[in-house]
Amino acid sequence: MNQELKVQAWVDGELDADQAERVGEWVANDAAAGALAAELRGVKAAMAGAELARKAPVSPEFYWSQVQRQIQAEAALARPKTSRWMARWRRFFMPVAGLAVACCVVLLSVELSAGVSRPDVVSSSNEGMDTMMFHDQSSGLTVVWLQDKSAQSDASSASDNDNSIDTD
Amino acid sequence: MSAPDDQSAVSDVDLVHAAQKGDLGAFEQLVARHRDKIYARAFSMMRNEDEALDLSQDAWVKGWQRLTQFQGESSFLTWMTRIVINLCLDQLRKLKRQRLESIEALEEDSGGVERQMPTVEVNPTEGLERGELRNRIDAALGKLSNEHRTALVLHEFEELEYKEIAKRMNCSIGTVMSRLFYARRRMAALLAGLKRENAE
Repeated sequence: MNQELKVQAWVDGELDADQAERVGEWVANDAAAGALAAELRGVKAAMAGAELARKAPVSPEFYWSQVQRQIQAEAALARPKTSRWMARWRRFFMPVAGLAVACCVVLLSVELSAGVSRPDVVSSSNEGMDTMMFHDQSSGLTVVWLQDKSAQSDASSASDNDNSIDTD
Repeated sequence: MSAPDDQSAVSDVDLVHAAQKGDLGAFEQLVARHRDKIYARAFSMMRNEDEALDLSQDAWVKGWQRLTQFQGESSFLTWMTRIVINLCLDQLRKLKRQRLESIEALEEDSGGVERQMPTVEVNPTEGLERGELRNRIDAALGKLSNEHRTALVLHEFEELEYKEIAKRMNCSIGTVMSRLFYARRRMAALLAGLKRENAE
């Protein structure tokens, strides 16, 4: 450290006790060192608490709106980071769900191409009789239910009036 | 959200606690209170209105994001000031990389012209009003290089020790002392009205 920087460190109180004593003696006995110390001390004193007060060159509302917008924008960017497990789960779940949908489509198309259809159910009502017909095309099975309306109210006897006919 | 005026009687500490719980209105009030001081510090370092404005606003965004880290060891304003200083230092480093500073570097390495300058006596109470002195100091700061000005601002306004300045400026303590020395000598000359460049 050169002598001038030592004088400065002495002015700033950055020297240990021994060094400070030595430099202090030198400053006291050497005119040039004394003048330098006075100058440095003068600048230090002049600048203490002398930062010029300034107003931001935009309105308080505009200033805050920009800060707020940036806060919200950065929060939106940061959000996916906070639910990282969700992103991982989604990464796993999306292909599995896609595969399941694909399987359903394939099964449905195979079923349709094989001529498998849902059973047909037809029901009709005449004056004294209710009729319900069930037909399964794949097995060629047809079931017809006949029910006497007069006996409908009497639940206990309803089963006695039911007849079924099986046809091929 | 509450209007800033509604919370004018609330202390910084209480506003910080509310903001730490996610109250953006409380944070808005803190911004309203300290906005100009944070901007002024950014301007002292950058000497550019637009950059100072952007950096001061960035500082508030960072402040919000790191608010939970604020434990109250210092005042909220001190904490925010440190944030804006760090952002300014980052920006100055970027600027330094972008431009050639050969002349300043040469001056600094070889001791600079300030070493040969005669000492001047600067008495801030003599002849100058405090307000006028502030203006002259501000104008003089604008004539210093970024490195010299930063060292001076951190030491005289922020009252940091050499070691802390070195850490923040990412340089050695010797470099800090050297920058501070030349900055002060030039500041002394400018305050005393010794404008070397005019004389030459």
